[in-house]
Formats: sequence, C-alpha cells, structure tokens
Amino acid sequence: MSRQARFYQWGMVIDLDRCTGCGACVVACQAENNVALVEKQRFAEGRDMHWLRIERYWEGEFPHVRARFLPMLCQHCGDAPCEPVCPVYASYHNDEGLNGQVYNRCVGTRYCGNNCPYAVRVFNFLNPDWPQPLPDQLNPDVTVRSRGVMEKCTFCIQRIRRGKETAKSEKRLVRDGEIQPACAQTCPPGAIVFGNLADPDSHVSRLARSPRRFRLFEDLGTDPSVIYLKGGGHEHAG
Amino acid sequence: MRRVALIVVMTLLAGMLTALLALIYNLPLDTRDPAPVQPLAFSHSLHAGDYRIACRYCHRGVEISRTAGIPPLATCQACHLHIASDRPEIVKLLDQMKREEPVEWVKVYDLPEHVYFPHMMHLRAQLDCALCHGDVAGMERITRSVELKMGWCLGCHREHLASIDCWTCHI
Repeated sequence: MSRQARFYQWGMVIDLDRCTGCGACVVACQAENNVALVEKQRFAEGRDMHWLRIERYWEGEFPHVRARFLPMLCQHCGDAPCEPVCPVYASYHNDEGLNGQVYNRCVGTRYCGNNCPYAVRVFNFLNPDWPQPLPDQLNPDVTVRSRGVMEKCTFCIQRIRRGKETAKSEKRLVRDGEIQPACAQTCPPGAIVFGNLADPDSHVSRLARSPRRFRLFEDLGTDPSVIYLKGGGHEHAG
Repeated sequence: MRRVALIVVMTLLAGMLTALLALIYNLPLDTRDPAPVQPLAFSHSLHAGDYRIACRYCHRGVEISRTAGIPPLATCQACHLHIASDRPEIVKLLDQMKREEPVEWVKVYDLPEHVYFPHMMHLRAQLDCALCHGDVAGMERITRSVELKMGWCLGCHREHLASIDCWTCHI
C-alpha cells in the first residue's frame, strides 16, 4: 500500500446531457495513447482498436427520431471482472482505484476481454503499423504495444504520473482539474470531467452526487469509477 | 522396481528443468558490450574525476526531465575552443562542430521501451548518480556497472518506501 493511496481515488463523470456524440474524444484518445490503426477488413471482423467508443442509440419512431450517445470506456471497476481471470496478474488493481494493465506481463490469453461486461478491452492481433508521417508523432510517454497484448483505457496514466510528479516536486497534492485525460481535455461541450473522488470538494465529486447519476450495469456489482449523468432533458424528467 | 525408476527419472527431470529456469533467470538482460568504444575518446575520469566538473554541468536535463541527456557539442566547444584545442581528439571534435554533425555516442544504459524511468524523480529523492552509474569519476570509458533488472529496481524502491505499483514504471 503506497503512502499516497488514501489521497487519490480517480474517477470520471460523463454528462450525457452534454454529449453531442461528436467523437472528438475518440480521436484524442487514439492520438494520445498510440492506439493502433485497423484496416477496414479487420474492423469488419470485429478487431477494431478503440479504448473509447461512442455508443449510439436511436429513440422514437420516424419522423420523431432522436439519437442518444454514450461514450464507453474502461469503467475502472472497483470489483473488476477482468482482474481475477488473468493467469499472469497482468490485469491488476492499484491503490488509486485504477484498473491496471501491464503490457510486458500480458501473455494474451484474452480472458480479461471476454470477462469484461463493458467490452472495452481490445487485443492486438497484429503488430501496429502506422503510415508515414504517423510514426513520427507517437506519444513518447506511452508504450507502443506489440502483437498479442491486451490493452484498454488507462485514464491516461501517463498524465496522472506527470501530474503527480509535478505535485510531488512542489510538495503538495494534485490540484483539482490539474490532471485531465485526453478525452476530457478535448470534449468540446465539457461532458467529461475527471478528478479525485476521494476529495469531496472536487468538481468530479460534486457532479457525482447529482440526482441524475447512474452507473453502467450497476446490478453486476462491478462498482465502476465512471459515473454517468442521465441525459434526455425534459423527456426523462420524472 | 519400475515405479522407483520412474520416480527417480521424474525427479531428475524436474531438477534439470529448475536448474535451466534458474540459469535463464540469471542470464544478463543486456548482452551488449558493457563498455562500448565511443566515437570520441571522452574521458570521464579526467573531466568528472580530476577536474571535478559536476555531472549536471553537461547532463543538464537530469533535474527536469526523464532523460539526463547528452550535451550538445556547443557545451564541449565552450571550453575547448581555448583549452587543449590542439589535441587530436579535440581537433576531431571541433571539426565535427564545424561540419555541424552530431557525435553518435553509443548508449551504455538502455532500458526497454516498456519501462518509464524519470531521472528527475530520482534526483528529487536525493539519490546519488553513483547508485546506478557507478564511480563515473574513476572511469576512463563509461562502463555499465549494474544489471538493470526489475528486481534490482524494486529492491531500492522497497528500501526507500517508493511506490511499487506496476503502473509507476510500466505505462
């Protein structure tokens, strides 16, 4: 147990009322985390590599159709189904409520991906191959995963590390809003808020107490760290 | 009788397998030359040893960045335009500077890509450079003095109560 554990419990709030389904977060995530590109053919085979995807739901009958969007990413479950099934402990839980994935330990059994109810884990079926000039703009803070390794959203652990390093050298705790994952930073309507749930005054904690809150598949008992705020405006009122 | 023989053979096989695994585990990770020949015969024992130039004078990134960094030729030139500028190695150096070509130093300490090692955090923890890099002030040519194995990292992290969370280094 690290000494800083009690100070941080990372969590995220996604306001579905604000989400417009633009997909900027998906692109930002792809660029930030060196997520591999997948050919059309492979994509059709269901081998797409996304750490974050936008799920789309249609509501109502024509002509009164509305689209609803739900950004889906690793929920960083408190009681994660992916963790106990890993035979090599590559998928593990850390002190700050994050659900970790250690690439150099992963042997690619894909048990974790199959046991994830949110289907947010993706597997590298091939070595990543970026056309020029994309290899020149890879993020140096993130490992480029090779073939046979499972990967998923890390809440931009490299940014969390950097934020904590800066805070530590200034002998203080991380300030609220100091760390932002790529998706939260990019989101134009500000639907995604990231922060420390252990601090009751943080932006993310205040939003998490909203009456609109819900978590995905709450009945499974996974205790996710991602909290959604119900969208739909007037239609869903009462 | 046959059963005893079988048990003996199985025990021997298990022992051999264990010995083989132990051997593989103890093999060095980095098989490259621990003291590679550098393109210029820069002497650390002269600069850091005899003249006591601080490590940070040349490796300036070490306090603010992940990598300590190799100094640009301009750093060498700052002194060597006037000091010992007639020695053959210095002539080579100044010539290279004139041609605007960088020196291709050979990396001695190299970590795999899946390891995130921030130099600055280790300096902020008041660790001495020599803890990992050995007695550089006494080395004519830089020699790798430690095996950069994970167990070795963890031993120190445990001792100093630093984080041993996997994601501290493998991100």
